[in-house]
Amino acid sequence: MPPDRRERENARVESETLTSDDQEAYAPRAPFRDELFDADGTPRPAAGALIAGLGRLGREGLTDAGRRRDAIFLQQGITFETAGENGPSRERPFPLDLVPRIITGAEWHDLQQGLAQRIRALNHFVDDVYHGREIVREGIVPWQLIAGRSHFARAVHGIRPPGGVYCHVAGCDLVRDSDGTWKVLEDNVRTPSGISYVLENRAAMARLVPGLFGSYRVRPVDHYPQLLLAALRSVSPSADSEATVVVWTPGPLNSAYFEHAFLARQMGVELVEASDLVVRDDVVYMRTTAGLKRVHAVYRRLDDDFIDPLEFRPDSMLGVPGLVRAYRAGTVAIANALGTGVADDKAVYHYVPEMIRYYLGEEPHLENVRTYLLSDPEQLEHVLGRVGELVVKPTGESGGKGVTIGPAASDEELARLVVELRAHPERWIAQEVVHLSTVPTAGPDGRLHPRHVDLRPFAVFGERIDIVPGGLTRVALEEGSMIVNSSRGGGSKDTWVLGGEDGDEPLDATLPEPLPPALPDLRYGGWTGQAQQQQQGRAC
Amino acid sequence: MLARIAQELYWLGRNLARAEFTARVVDGVFQVELQGQPDAEPGVVLGWNELLAMLGSGEEGERVQRLEALQRLTLDAKTRNSMVSSVERAREGARTVRDVISADMWEAINTTALTLRGDDPSSWLAPAGPYLACKYIKERTALIGGLGDRTMLRDEAKSFLDAGSFIETADMVLRMLHVAFPPNADAIEGGGHALALLQAVGGFQAYRRAVPAPPNARPVARFLLFERAYPDSVAACVDSLHDALESADPSPRNSEPVLRLSRLAADLDFQRRTLADSAEIGATCEAVRDELVRVDADLADRYFAGAARHRGTTVV
Repeated sequence: MPPDRRERENARVESETLTSDDQEAYAPRAPFRDELFDADGTPRPAAGALIAGLGRLGREGLTDAGRRRDAIFLQQGITFETAGENGPSRERPFPLDLVPRIITGAEWHDLQQGLAQRIRALNHFVDDVYHGREIVREGIVPWQLIAGRSHFARAVHGIRPPGGVYCHVAGCDLVRDSDGTWKVLEDNVRTPSGISYVLENRAAMARLVPGLFGSYRVRPVDHYPQLLLAALRSVSPSADSEATVVVWTPGPLNSAYFEHAFLARQMGVELVEASDLVVRDDVVYMRTTAGLKRVHAVYRRLDDDFIDPLEFRPDSMLGVPGLVRAYRAGTVAIANALGTGVADDKAVYHYVPEMIRYYLGEEPHLENVRTYLLSDPEQLEHVLGRVGELVVKPTGESGGKGVTIGPAASDEELARLVVELRAHPERWIAQEVVHLSTVPTAGPDGRLHPRHVDLRPFAVFGERIDIVPGGLTRVALEEGSMIVNSSRGGGSKDTWVLGGEDGDEPLDATLPEPLPPALPDLRYGGWTGQAQQQQQGRAC
Repeated sequence: MLARIAQELYWLGRNLARAEFTARVVDGVFQVELQGQPDAEPGVVLGWNELLAMLGSGEEGERVQRLEALQRLTLDAKTRNSMVSSVERAREGARTVRDVISADMWEAINTTALTLRGDDPSSWLAPAGPYLACKYIKERTALIGGLGDRTMLRDEAKSFLDAGSFIETADMVLRMLHVAFPPNADAIEGGGHALALLQAVGGFQAYRRAVPAPPNARPVARFLLFERAYPDSVAACVDSLHDALESADPSPRNSEPVLRLSRLAADLDFQRRTLADSAEIGATCEAVRDELVRVDADLADRYFAGAARHRGTTVV
């Protein structure tokens, strides 16, 4: 027996005390892939030391650490609110599972390349949609599909932000299929949230179960706020001294307020609400105790729709009137740029591999989940025939709203869905069911059970693309469930990317060609045409 | 710094000070009320109804019993100025500015609110009366204040936080004097509850060391109004408030609230020296209170971008 194999066997023996009373070892659920154990229950090579560490901690140790975790999270206010049965909402500590997930350096290297490639392509796509529409002219993506999206922002047509960067912060949801390949489930290039939990989870793990880190060299994540600040500064239109950056939150009642405050604190910038911002002469200012102060970059955490009542929803109370004018005048950078919603639409998702080939001339590193667009009559018929086997999602929604999982739905639900699909096929997509991988997760009694997970890595796009090692691993705490949203009973895990000789290579950092900022196209033949008109007007 | 944040900090300071003072007074009144009036002379009167009136938590002319009053002032989240409401408001405010105050301070405030909510809030009152709850709040507010002093940067943010707590302290002391010494009462000679009043604000020991006279109504009132060496006296609070705003303001020399406070401080000092023993102290209290209300309005105009007066703050 080779030595490392023997070590893993030992680890398995140690871990058995943790997983069962009756000598029955942790059993991964077929056909799903377990990320820490082989199908026969032996720890994977990278996980050996972790499993041994968990064995040493024992069930007692794990439940004990769990209690301390809840106390600390409550004290620090790392909570989310769930509606109680009779009215008032209750605050609960954010559910962090103490068994980390491990990604080896080599795996991470591939993932990173794939994500960077995807984000570059999405960024190109947003630029194209609001300028030349080359991809439409080539017949790759139908214009009707783009313009019909609710996130298509007519108001920003022709505006190119500094550096040509639109998707400053991006988070793609990844899942791992039973054969071990990573697949992209969803792109988030509007306001992806969750990064604060990545940082807080790591800090909590180091405090609660330092023993598990043992011999691992886990790559750190706490530089994210600095990356974000640097990226925001790099796109700010400020000539003099340091750019003023702010984080814009809808307010303390927002469910992600903790994250907004966290990012502002970590970056050392102001956390503003709409009432703090004011636009004068196409320049954005904030109200301070010493009068108005110019703002150069806004990291906004609310949707396009609410941002400016003059251009988007007129009934928005959260918006700043005139902001889009300032943005158009180029006096303020907004991250993410306005109108990026067209790129993370679920119907557009289908075309992302094509975009990568078209804009970058490369083959995609990361696969999509097989998706059917229901606006195509042929695909619609196909889906209606197999609706019980597929996942059906509404386009333009997020957070798992309105998703029907075919195999888990009742006949009645499916019948209702079929009617809806026939009536509005363009509002829906269908996807093959993915066999989400599992990771051992501690139950209330400290025993480990396989639970399904996904992964949301976070990328920051400024002068280059940086991706924080790992990301937010969300876990479904119910047995067999694949719904990982924390609002619906999901938890999270710390994600360890192991440092190694092969994992530290720099990213392939080819940037989009720096494009000069552009003004909106003018009618009547651009600037010269208009100048002529004015002269004609004067001559009359 | 952002005007809205400055305002939140100011009210965070006020709410914490209000919680602390409410706790002190409830504890003091509870002890007094169990016993009878010490002598028959007219003097300082301290009872539940006076207290409710002072905190603006009672209806006009309403008489309430001890238990009812206790409930309202300590753990009733519906009464606006109960200890719990003040702490909860402070927590909400701290949540909004948690990126500005230090993490230690936020955690201290958060734990205080969570502990008071507890599983069974009524256990705070039984069986020993309000003592447990009052003691807890007094200790925690002292802890929070101490943490703030030790861990926060001494910048504008700290100045506004301090300003809030000083103006609130001055206001509470004035209100207490107002209730205990009705302005129309003629020269008060006796002691009445003056001793209890001192104990309620926590100034008894300081008084004993600073003033040779026995704790009768008049010297006690003078002590609470004018004694600069006692940190919770009105004069000391006005001084500190002035200093806090002066350091927060980029140009204090033409700042309306700073100027107003300089004048008020000088005025208090002048009165301390010249006020005849027989003069009515109630009138002085009234004048100082009015002046502080104007300072509050000036603050809002100058620093908080003219923000509307905060919800539920002016208590008459």
